[in-house]
Amino acid sequence: MSESDTVLDRVRRALGRTGPLLKPPTPPAIDEPITRLVHTDIGLPELFARRAEEMKMHVDAVHPEELFGGLVEFLKANACHSLVLTDSPLLERLRLAEQLNAKGFEARRWSEITLDGLYQFDCGITDVTYAAAETGSLVIRSSAAHGPAVSLVPPIHVAILEPKNFLPDLVDLFERLKTDADPASVVMITGPSKTSDIEMNLVVGVHGPCKVQLFILQ
Amino acid sequence: MSSTIGSEPLDAHSEAFLHEAAASKFDFHSVSVKAAGDERLKTAINNAVLKQYTARQLRLLDLPDADRLRTLAGDIKQHALDYLDYYLVQLQQNVRKNGGHLHFACSGDEAKQIILDIAKNANCKSVIKSKSMVSEEIELVHTFEANGINVVETDLGEFIIQIGKDKPSHLVAPIVHKDRQSCGRLFSEYFGTPYTDDPQALTMQARKHMRDRFRTADMGMTGGNFLVAETGQVCVVENEGNARHSVTSPRVLVSLVGIEKVVPRLVDLAVMLKLLARSATGQPFTVYTNIFGGPRKPGQKDGPEEFHIVLLDNGRSEILAGEYRETLRCIRCGACLNACPVYRKIGGHAYGSVYPGPIGALITPLFQGLGNFKDLPQASSLCGACYEACPVKINIPQHLINMRRDIVNSHLNGFLERAIYRLWAWSLKSPLLYKLGSIMQKWELRRRAKKTGWVKKMPMVGSGWTQIRDMPAPARKTFHQMWAKRDHRN
Repeated sequence: MSESDTVLDRVRRALGRTGPLLKPPTPPAIDEPITRLVHTDIGLPELFARRAEEMKMHVDAVHPEELFGGLVEFLKANACHSLVLTDSPLLERLRLAEQLNAKGFEARRWSEITLDGLYQFDCGITDVTYAAAETGSLVIRSSAAHGPAVSLVPPIHVAILEPKNFLPDLVDLFERLKTDADPASVVMITGPSKTSDIEMNLVVGVHGPCKVQLFILQ
Repeated sequence: MSSTIGSEPLDAHSEAFLHEAAASKFDFHSVSVKAAGDERLKTAINNAVLKQYTARQLRLLDLPDADRLRTLAGDIKQHALDYLDYYLVQLQQNVRKNGGHLHFACSGDEAKQIILDIAKNANCKSVIKSKSMVSEEIELVHTFEANGINVVETDLGEFIIQIGKDKPSHLVAPIVHKDRQSCGRLFSEYFGTPYTDDPQALTMQARKHMRDRFRTADMGMTGGNFLVAETGQVCVVENEGNARHSVTSPRVLVSLVGIEKVVPRLVDLAVMLKLLARSATGQPFTVYTNIFGGPRKPGQKDGPEEFHIVLLDNGRSEILAGEYRETLRCIRCGACLNACPVYRKIGGHAYGSVYPGPIGALITPLFQGLGNFKDLPQASSLCGACYEACPVKINIPQHLINMRRDIVNSHLNGFLERAIYRLWAWSLKSPLLYKLGSIMQKWELRRRAKKTGWVKKMPMVGSGWTQIRDMPAPARKTFHQMWAKRDHRN
């Protein structure tokens, strides 16, 4: 008898069953009125921005033509010189890598570097898959073009959000993630990395980025 | 506040507590008396847990109906437990579909062997491990160390526990029993750097130390807050980002999770996550919520090449079979610890187990035998604060009462206690004996209270009562006597 049979056998015995359960059981229904915190599609970027700022991220709402100027200003103010960008359609469309290189930054695409090399960079610039307004969370599905390491390893993370990213509630988010093809790794980012382990003192910037800057495209 | 211990570090007695707790016959009474007498420890723990407790109260107000959401969360977990066999099979199929491996382990030793074999087969020399209670339960770190595999706890609190050879004393705030001076001294010794006790500076030292480990580790280890049956994924929440490194950088990833962590659907996470961080630390949401399963896809440069889930039973299926099944709903948020007047007075180490507080008082005897931990179910005033705080509505006080019944039924209480109760029951059955007993009792107590009007000391078994309280002398006449002579005119 293999190990898997043993634990499963014990569980079945504990539940008073003699064989496998053939008919799938029905889990409790998600009672939306008590579960949902956000009931509307209206004003999601604004709600998201408010929540994200409460979670200590910096948020700027910009028109597409203002983005590059704001980005350059932020990078200079934070002494970021070497940058990694995910190979995302949005960032390509905005031609950020080319423009940043022309401006004197050292901007590389994720496809051009190694995971090991990522540790040398000052800042990771990414788009997001979704943005959950309820919690102010950036949601990133990992793929070859969008390695989650880009928003983890460099000490500063810049994310660029567009209107189609926003979802109202966590209920909507998980329903959407369920219908997305094959379950990829997903990370939800809700602020800079932090700890309160030593005497409950809040320290920002432990193992992940110490600063998260968001640009919401209008 | 006691001044005699003012110069000692806050965790001065931790080692003694741990030593006593590890003894074959765990004496909760003596350890808890010592812990409760340590005023500084008590103050530190109180401050920390009250901060989390107050934040929790405030954050629950975000929810439209926190009470009913807790009921729903409890129902979801209960459903998953009632059909655990179905969901474990579903999980196993989906993990395989995602290209991962799922292993079942009956015991801690079996789990450790499975994990060691994975490490050896993949030639892993270094492990980065994120915080998980189940790994504390089976003392996984020691196994790695004993087998020459370099392992580092990457959560800041757990790292401090690891280099101090200490044990966590709270489910979510592991070093609540340590002050910054203790942490500063440990860091200075371990890194050979000048002493500092500034939390910011200490955290940056840890960050610097870990970065290279993250970059070069062969294997990442995590626990799991939830397992999603319908997608075969693990969900791990955290604030620091160290668990993210575990799932992102190393080529091998192993998640060690208890079998009771399964939820049926991805959308169940919406319910659970709305409650988890709020109940634990009073945050609306944790900084990082990692949902993962399976190895990296072709073309991906991060994420593991090899992914394993090790599902641990270690006594859980036995709990599942009995009347304490509900205790397996626990999501390890620590809200019951923060709410508990006993935990606030004695801290976590006094419970002699990795699972302290009200939930620990229940599951420790269930995991490790009632005989070894028969005092823990008594470590409660049954005030119900834990039940009120529990995000999955485990009726902890009721289960504690039931466990006290088990103690009596299995004759684990002392001979003297049994004899006294039998005597009492016998006297209650006979009016004559009862009358005689109450006259004698009144006479003796009034004799003892002659001088001050208070009974200050009682002999033998009664001494425990008067050790910490005085009792007023009984009235000259009993209620029965007064009733018999009452005025009948009304």
